[in-house]
Amino acid sequence: MTEGRVIPDAASLPATRDAGLRRRPSAVGGAFRLRAALPRPWGAVIAVASSIAILALWEFVARLGLTTPLFFPAPSEILAAMGRMFSTQHLAWHAWVSTLRVWGAFLLAAVMAIPIGMAMSGFRPVGAALEPAIDFIRYLPVPALVPLSIIWFGVGEETKIFLLWLGTFFQLVLLVADDMRRVPNEYFETAYTIGASQAQALKDVAFRAMLPSLIDNLRITLGWCWTYLIIAEIVAADSGLGFVIWAARRYMKTPEVMAGVVLIGVIGLATDQLLRAIHRRAFRYL
Amino acid sequence: MATAPTPHLVFDGVTKRFGSVQVVEQPFDLEVARHEFVAFLGPSGCGKTTLMRMVGGLDQPSSGEIRLDGEPVGRPDRRRGMVFQSYSSFPWLTVGQNVAFGMKYRKDLSEQEKAVRAERYLDLVGLYEFSDSYPNQVSGGMRQRIAIARTLAAGADVLLMDEPFGALDALRREQLQAELRRIQRRDAKTVVFVTHDVEEALFLADRVVVFSKRPTRIVAEIDVKTRLGEERTLEMRDGDDFFALRREAIGVVRAAAGGEL
Ligand SMILES: Nc1ncnc2c1ncn2[C@@H]1O[C@H](COP(=O)(O)OP(=O)(O)O)[C@@H](O)[C@H]1O
Ligand SMILES: [Mg+2]
Repeated sequence: MTEGRVIPDAASLPATRDAGLRRRPSAVGGAFRLRAALPRPWGAVIAVASSIAILALWEFVARLGLTTPLFFPAPSEILAAMGRMFSTQHLAWHAWVSTLRVWGAFLLAAVMAIPIGMAMSGFRPVGAALEPAIDFIRYLPVPALVPLSIIWFGVGEETKIFLLWLGTFFQLVLLVADDMRRVPNEYFETAYTIGASQAQALKDVAFRAMLPSLIDNLRITLGWCWTYLIIAEIVAADSGLGFVIWAARRYMKTPEVMAGVVLIGVIGLATDQLLRAIHRRAFRYL
Repeated sequence: MATAPTPHLVFDGVTKRFGSVQVVEQPFDLEVARHEFVAFLGPSGCGKTTLMRMVGGLDQPSSGEIRLDGEPVGRPDRRRGMVFQSYSSFPWLTVGQNVAFGMKYRKDLSEQEKAVRAERYLDLVGLYEFSDSYPNQVSGGMRQRIAIARTLAAGADVLLMDEPFGALDALRREQLQAELRRIQRRDAKTVVFVTHDVEEALFLADRVVVFSKRPTRIVAEIDVKTRLGEERTLEMRDGDDFFALRREAIGVVRAAAGGEL
């Protein structure tokens, strides 16, 4: 009956090691152990509760009159402004226009960056040729290029798409090259030894291997697109959320300015969550 | 014994240099018979992997020639299948799809034939029930079986295996070794197997080629087939014959390593 002894011995081993932590056995204390797991519903509950708490505090402070409405309107006021803007100022249409611009420029950047980035890390001469130029342009601040963009493209849609593309393509292409660099050599070699050509190895193996991190990088880049959108729409536009925000500022309609900002945040959050959900479904094997 | 078997794989005066690093300095000669299981045993860094990669066409000899069926080997193709120690299966494909991937570029088989073949090799390596699982859902040993089945499905004549069981625990390792030997005999494959584990080499191979540290040369060849026969079972491993052979071999390997084990 050695088994009867072995099991409790093994169980007591971690207990002695953890003795210092065991002295504080409360649930709250446990949750703050470094990298401790959080039971499933709790993460969402905490997130929602903290958001509500911040909004409530803000509302409370505003209603007490501790802030000037002109600078810092209450959340309820912002919400009311947003409602008005939806019904009388075509806010939904402006949001749609902005979304189209973001996705148009983003898809253009992605379609160009994926093959170019893969080529840059797959073929050394291509990488050597393109990397200096890309690295240089990547560090140019997009706002500084607005005047140049207007000289080149005027104030129409082209300028907006160009500025968004500029802000994302050069970052994305290097991220793609990095994703490709991380594909293990063994994957290529396995493909070759079952008869794949280079093109087949790139398409069927490398692209598939890097897809999860590629999608993650696309998701992050899409977020940046929204940042540059506002710059583009403030400078030269008569539509879109950036235009709405800027026009409201001119008349010091702070609730409307904030409503525009909040709407961008909401669209961004929704898109991000959607893409994350798709990622989880598509890459179950991870 | 009838006529001597025609060599399947021939290393003829092969040397290899990477830039200024001379990996295989002295011309390397070796003949591997058809359906022979050869193990390369030697200290780490002596060039075993490099020699094997040249057979696969993944590296080119700096001088000399490697011939398969009398033809110099060129670019990699599906007749020479590789099984690596790590990243040996594709994580985005299920076990079944991984095995079928071995035939993806074969135009000589219909879809129907491919499906039948995939099932057959899945069954052969005991992965049939795991066909729909992803590699990260099965054990490391099963992942190596996936790679073996994929290579066989691709139709390789020569299996090139670079420490394929190096990352497995002792029990899985033994089991997989026994299975590999069974498959090799059943499907009559020529195998070149790189390892630095003496026991593994002896248990699996018909012939063990012992390498010295660099400058690389063959210091001994152990004819395991004559000593132990072709049938290898897990029980044999505990037998006196195996034990005696193992002791001898360890002596040879120690001498080869020049006291640098
Ligand atoms: N691509 C390469 N470029 C430069 N040196 C290499 C390359 N591949 C292997 N080597 C060197 O060749 C030697 C032999 O390597 P390898 O064939 O992997 O030995 P083994 O498999 O016997 O451990 C090592 O010293 C290694 O550093
Ligand atoms: Mg090696």
